[in-house]
Amino acid sequence: MTERVDLQEPVAPPGIELPPAPAGGPVIHESLLRIRLRLFRKAMRRNWRLFARNKIGLVGLGIILAFALVALIHPLLMDRVWDPAVYHPVTGYDAVVREITIVDEVTGDNQMTLADAQRNANPFVKVGETISIPNQPAQPSRTHWLGTDPLGRDILSQLMYSTRAAFALGAIAAIVTVFLATTVGSVAAYYGGWIDSLLMRFADLVLLVPLIPVLIVVGALFTLTLPLLGVLIGVLSGFGGVAIVLKSQALSVTVKPFVDAARVAGGSNRHIIFRHIIPNVLPLSFLYMMFTVTEAIALEATLSFLGLMNVQMSWGLMINVAHSQGYLLSGTSYWWLLIPAGMAVTLLAAAFFLAGRAMDEVVNPRLRRR
Amino acid sequence: MQTAESSMSTRPQGRSDAPLLEVDDLTMEYHTESGTVSAVVDVSFTLHGGESLGLVGESGCGKTSVAMALLRLQADNAHFLKGEIRLNGNDLLSLSENEMRTHRWSDISMVFQGAMNAWNPVQRVGDQIREAMDLHIDPPLTKAGSRERMEELFSIVGVDPKMLDRYPHEFSGGMRQRAIIAMALSCNPQLIIADEPTTALDVIVQDQILKQLKRIQREFGMAMIYISHDIAVIAEVTDTIGVMYAGRIVEFGSTREVFERPKHPYAYLLLNSAPSITGPRRKLAPLKGEPPNLLNPPTGCRFHPRCPFATEKCVVESPPLEDVGAGHLVECWHWDQVPVITEKGVA
Amino acid sequence: MVKFISKRLVQMLFLFVIFLTILFFLLEAQPGDLSQTLIGNPEIPPEAKELLADRLGLNEPLWGRYWTYMTNFFKGDMGVATSQYPTSVGALIIERLPRTLVLFLSATLLAYYLGFVTGKVLAWRRGKATEYLLTLGGVGLYTVFYPWFALLMIWGLGFTLTNLTGWRLFPIGRFIDTNEWTGGPFSTNQVFSRMIWVSALSMIVATVVTYVARKRLEYPQAIKVRNYVFLAGVAFPFLYFAVIETAMRTYALDILQHTMLPVITLTLVAFAGIMLLTRSSMLETLREDYILTARAKGLSERVIRDKHAARNALLPVVTSLVLALAFVIGGGIITETIFSWPGIGRLLFDAVVLEDIPLAMGSLSIIAVLALVGHLIADIVYVYLDPRIRYQ
Repeated sequence: MTERVDLQEPVAPPGIELPPAPAGGPVIHESLLRIRLRLFRKAMRRNWRLFARNKIGLVGLGIILAFALVALIHPLLMDRVWDPAVYHPVTGYDAVVREITIVDEVTGDNQMTLADAQRNANPFVKVGETISIPNQPAQPSRTHWLGTDPLGRDILSQLMYSTRAAFALGAIAAIVTVFLATTVGSVAAYYGGWIDSLLMRFADLVLLVPLIPVLIVVGALFTLTLPLLGVLIGVLSGFGGVAIVLKSQALSVTVKPFVDAARVAGGSNRHIIFRHIIPNVLPLSFLYMMFTVTEAIALEATLSFLGLMNVQMSWGLMINVAHSQGYLLSGTSYWWLLIPAGMAVTLLAAAFFLAGRAMDEVVNPRLRRR
Repeated sequence: MQTAESSMSTRPQGRSDAPLLEVDDLTMEYHTESGTVSAVVDVSFTLHGGESLGLVGESGCGKTSVAMALLRLQADNAHFLKGEIRLNGNDLLSLSENEMRTHRWSDISMVFQGAMNAWNPVQRVGDQIREAMDLHIDPPLTKAGSRERMEELFSIVGVDPKMLDRYPHEFSGGMRQRAIIAMALSCNPQLIIADEPTTALDVIVQDQILKQLKRIQREFGMAMIYISHDIAVIAEVTDTIGVMYAGRIVEFGSTREVFERPKHPYAYLLLNSAPSITGPRRKLAPLKGEPPNLLNPPTGCRFHPRCPFATEKCVVESPPLEDVGAGHLVECWHWDQVPVITEKGVA
Repeated sequence: MVKFISKRLVQMLFLFVIFLTILFFLLEAQPGDLSQTLIGNPEIPPEAKELLADRLGLNEPLWGRYWTYMTNFFKGDMGVATSQYPTSVGALIIERLPRTLVLFLSATLLAYYLGFVTGKVLAWRRGKATEYLLTLGGVGLYTVFYPWFALLMIWGLGFTLTNLTGWRLFPIGRFIDTNEWTGGPFSTNQVFSRMIWVSALSMIVATVVTYVARKRLEYPQAIKVRNYVFLAGVAFPFLYFAVIETAMRTYALDILQHTMLPVITLTLVAFAGIMLLTRSSMLETLREDYILTARAKGLSERVIRDKHAARNALLPVVTSLVLALAFVIGGGIITETIFSWPGIGRLLFDAVVLEDIPLAMGSLSIIAVLALVGHLIADIVYVYLDPRIRYQ
């Protein structure tokens, strides 16, 4: 027969001392809100440190800030420093002219043959005359640091003005994407079943069909303004790959025990989705927001370049104007028509990409280096 | 290099005279972003052919680091400060990488922690085992010869030889573990290191595998180093045991001796913190505190913050390794104060 | 495996039908008169207009129109190109399709192969200067504004190189030098088809031989065979035109010269993405336990890198083929436009500019089919590579 064993306080064998037990229980003095705030600030500081560890993230952030500064400065310049008649990015015109002497054979600068002069100026000129022809696009000079475009507008002003459009477009696309993708991902993960299948099939479709030809055709059927394009990009990318990624993230949250606990405690579906799932998915969506902006900037520039956008001025449009008038394929001499605009698109898109990659290391702990 | 002849024939059992493995004053540290971690300090032990040694200790005590060092598979940020690892007289730490490769698997092989994932998911299991054999067995076996040998290995560990043509994901957890053991045996090593080989398995499979390991080791006269945090398991399988704490071996001796009469306070508390179903009813002794942060280890004896016997001396001076009789070694200033618990109570 | 393929095929078909439906409603939703858009070309005589309206189902109610639209498509009838009346859309597409396929396929295959090999090597050598530079270069190529990059390539390799060396290695766009071909014995399509056939056959033979070698021989020899056979497969088409079919030689060379720059441009940018992806995939794979096992077995670094790590790192890269495909197709369209290269992409763009809606819709649909087929192939390749899915 076994003896009953009574549960007693642990007593150490002889020769050993036990540590003292804590008296009473732990007591919290701070309010919940203050604790949350403190944790939030701490988390932000830690995230910033992680982000800053990665130099390329800082480079990306720096470039973004630089461009933002440019966008803010431009209206000031237009107001106070520059003469709008000349420097306005869309309607400005600088009546720079060149003096050309008409000769039989071109032997030096500022000379032109009769045939060329008749073509460029008027048909009634004669050899030996000096005529003035407009000098557009003009090379960079003291008055026009980056020169002018074929329509006589200042390139630098155009460059700065387009920054605004780029940011606006990026913002619209990003917000729409985050909103859509988070909702779609969370709903699909939480409800599962046929809702999940339907949404994921749709996401597959969006992922499959390449964006550019679709947008080209949409551009043909409808007029593409900047806000419309932003919404379109947001919708198309929000329903696509991002939704799939966010859905797996939401799924990993759904199976966590605290969701079951919330359900048992009586939480409605809506409550669980908004209070538990979405907050855990949101950091990842902010990450993808960065990549959406990258994509949006590049897409708008491509569509403007192809002449399909209804926008007043953008970097892509700058290249389009130069290209459609043949200045870009006649040689490499008109470099200021191509290099600055393309560089701007590349830099800003790259900056968001790099910042996004650095953010990736903050949000996705698996990628952190030891 | 192993010859094909001595495939699965038995070797002389028990201890042979010349030591197989000698570790002298092995000291390692890791250079991390937060600082330098002193992970292994002055670890020394000797292993003879056919002997089985157990290394026991909490997570982070350095046992895996030692195991990795034996195969020179240490992490990139690990550095050897001093020490030698002699296999049959050759210092492994001084070899070039190419030379070390010839020793890996053919002289020392390893069964890793979480060996489930030790298989390449896109290759058949048989191909992966043959890969090792083709590399180390000289003269090389023919396709038929290696097939025969693998089937033999699989029957030893208790897996259906037909599974050799399957992929790892088609194996169950326990089968994968057994297959890993088979692969570890494939080149007839002199020493097998088993690092927590049964941690992720259920108790019944664990028991089976342990028994198998013991049997294989006895039958083929291999030396074995068994690493675990589970003392019960170590007790079953090993002849000699080394208790590690915070990077040092604090107690060393025959398994029976250390179990029945632990002399280091850590070992004592460890062994007496688990109740025994069959043993005498006695009061439990909990181990207070946590393992130390090896970025900034305690001065003197590394166990002193948690030790009920600690004195001023323990804070200041690190105790040397003392022989307390019959090859039973302890690193403690106050080992004589550690009580001995027998059937009848405290001695 | 067959079950998987057929299931995927059905899924793709289903998705394509949805896509066509969306396209249809897009067409319906556009502002303006539909019949004007579709058959409003003044060149079309009135009787023909009646017939066309009937064929396109313009006189029927919405559901009738939809049904006609869908059945027409699957019959192969995509309407008449209003900008090139009376040529049918289908005829135009068939003429251009092989060219675009060549562009896409060569760019994709090259980008994948180069990107994978570079990424694999890059991940293996960490912390050296080359790693930093290559990664930087890769990110640069990946994020560069593509039309800008294409134009820069023309400037660099087209103009500048020619000016420096006096050697017109890369012509500035277009498909052929029409001057050289007028009055010649061959049509572009003749020569082009021959080039495609010879290259395709050569590649297929090379692949089959490699496959057999892998099965029969040991790993190191099989790799050697693969390398030699691959080189032979690439060299053979050149030899063919140099020695066997010399009459076509200059024409084939002309086409080749004009195709090189577009392919190189598209490949460079696609390659960067693949390289970066392979690199991160390798880095993740290197943390796996089986890499440790491979090391413990005493295998050489190269074998571990290629046979164990890279083989597994390949899987996520193939999965991303889908995204890369979207880029190659979109980028291909831009490439064709900028280089004036006459493929489907350029067809689409020209159609849009000329407001030839039937042609635009038809081109878009074909492009979507290409995307879907590409996706299907990627899925099949993935299943073949990952035994965990193959043997369930």
